[in-house]
Amino acid sequence: MAGRRALVTGAGSGIGLATARRLRSEGAAVIGVDRRWPLIEPPISCLTADVTSREQVTSTVLRAAELLGGPADVLVNAAGVYRIRPLLDLTQDEWDETMAINLLGPFLVGRAVAAGLAEASLSGAIVNIGSTAALVADAAEPAAHYNASKAGVLALTRQMAVEWAQYGIRANAVCPGVIDTPMLRLMDDPVAGQAYLEAGVPLRRLGTADEVAAVIVFLASPDASYLTGVAVPVDGGSTAI
Amino acid sequence: MKAVVTGAARGLGEAIAARLASDGASVALIDISPDVTATAERIASAQTAGHVSGIVADVADEAACEAAIAQAASALGGIDALVNNAGIGGPDTRVVDTAFADFWQVLQVNLGSAFLGSRAAARLMIGQQSGGAIVNVGSIFGQQGVAGGAGYCASKGAVALLTHSLALELAPHRIRVNTIAPGNMATEMHWDELRSRAAASGTTLEHQMELVVASVPLRRHGTGADIAGAVTWLLSGDARYVTGQTIGVNGGVWLS
Repeated sequence: MAGRRALVTGAGSGIGLATARRLRSEGAAVIGVDRRWPLIEPPISCLTADVTSREQVTSTVLRAAELLGGPADVLVNAAGVYRIRPLLDLTQDEWDETMAINLLGPFLVGRAVAAGLAEASLSGAIVNIGSTAALVADAAEPAAHYNASKAGVLALTRQMAVEWAQYGIRANAVCPGVIDTPMLRLMDDPVAGQAYLEAGVPLRRLGTADEVAAVIVFLASPDASYLTGVAVPVDGGSTAI
Repeated sequence: MKAVVTGAARGLGEAIAARLASDGASVALIDISPDVTATAERIASAQTAGHVSGIVADVADEAACEAAIAQAASALGGIDALVNNAGIGGPDTRVVDTAFADFWQVLQVNLGSAFLGSRAAARLMIGQQSGGAIVNVGSIFGQQGVAGGAGYCASKGAVALLTHSLALELAPHRIRVNTIAPGNMATEMHWDELRSRAAASGTTLEHQMELVVASVPLRRHGTGADIAGAVTWLLSGDARYVTGQTIGVNGGVWLS
């Protein structure tokens, strides 16, 4: 990824952080974006912004281009939230907040980055973070707002792919399954969690953020030059059951 | 990596084998065509890291496929990666005009070879207790049917579901199995199909190529390097939590 200029949202933790690190280790220049930076000394260059704010997104994408020496040609939309809430208890505020961060965010950041690339006549690659929850329902961890937002991300990804192919911009998504990140709730009950892994994940273990990052970086790399509009599950085979 | 690629004398199989070899893998190329020997020599002369050899065999024949996989394992010192790429185009006729033998042949070659190759390699990998990865080459025409392509579509759709079942059966042995689904590729098989379309419609091959390119958002045919990049990734540790999936490599075609 040497010579690539990457922007990673949600880079403060989990899949975003792992992706930023992997991109940097492969030679890309990387700017991370997060609402707040939990680490005292961030491992990558970072900007603070809320991806649901159009003004903050616009200024952050411009600032990132200055720092990177040109428009970002790799965008990883990893900012996201996950909260378990049965439908009957789900409030409209909770619905709106999840939709804003998980779906409006990738739209706003993706639009700003693609506009910069198109204006400069540069090609690029976008990777959005879907979820296996966009493909199958989950009775044990009800989160309709999250699942709907991630299904929206997959539709957004296909539309980005079709509309922006003319600019040489590819857009793909990964669909992580149960990944060992701060977002994971499955193992809050270790016994039930292990039982789920035995029954629901053919590879019988949690995935790691590094394993998702490896797929994201592949999708952004020249090895994936003819892939666009796809959603790749990274789930140990759970959606194959 | 000790890799076997079937249907490797030319086209996508050759591109996959060449990429794996250039990445340092030892590779056994299998093909029904004797040309596979020359292809293997050509790849071997371009790189020096691993062992590269060609094996002439019909992988749709049970005994021949078993023998070829055993020969490959012997030459490589084991097998930890298999790409079931061997395949043929089907009859380009409507079902009502298609002889059963022609329909059955494409299933036997495209699906039968994937079953036989996977079974033979999986038995070896389980015995080695070292895990492994299998990539089956499906097709975008295994994800959606087309009129006049029933045999080919059925064979490639079946390959994807064979993959699905294999992934579940082999996961406990740390063997991953995935399908790659190429779209419109710049291969002789695809040009043959376009020549057939051109003849049927009274147009030229060039016109048919333009029609296809116009339908692909990335505005080009896929290449062997495009497929090799995705296959190499699926076989690598970078895909170690990915199994049972069908990955489209199609330039975004059919998204809209």
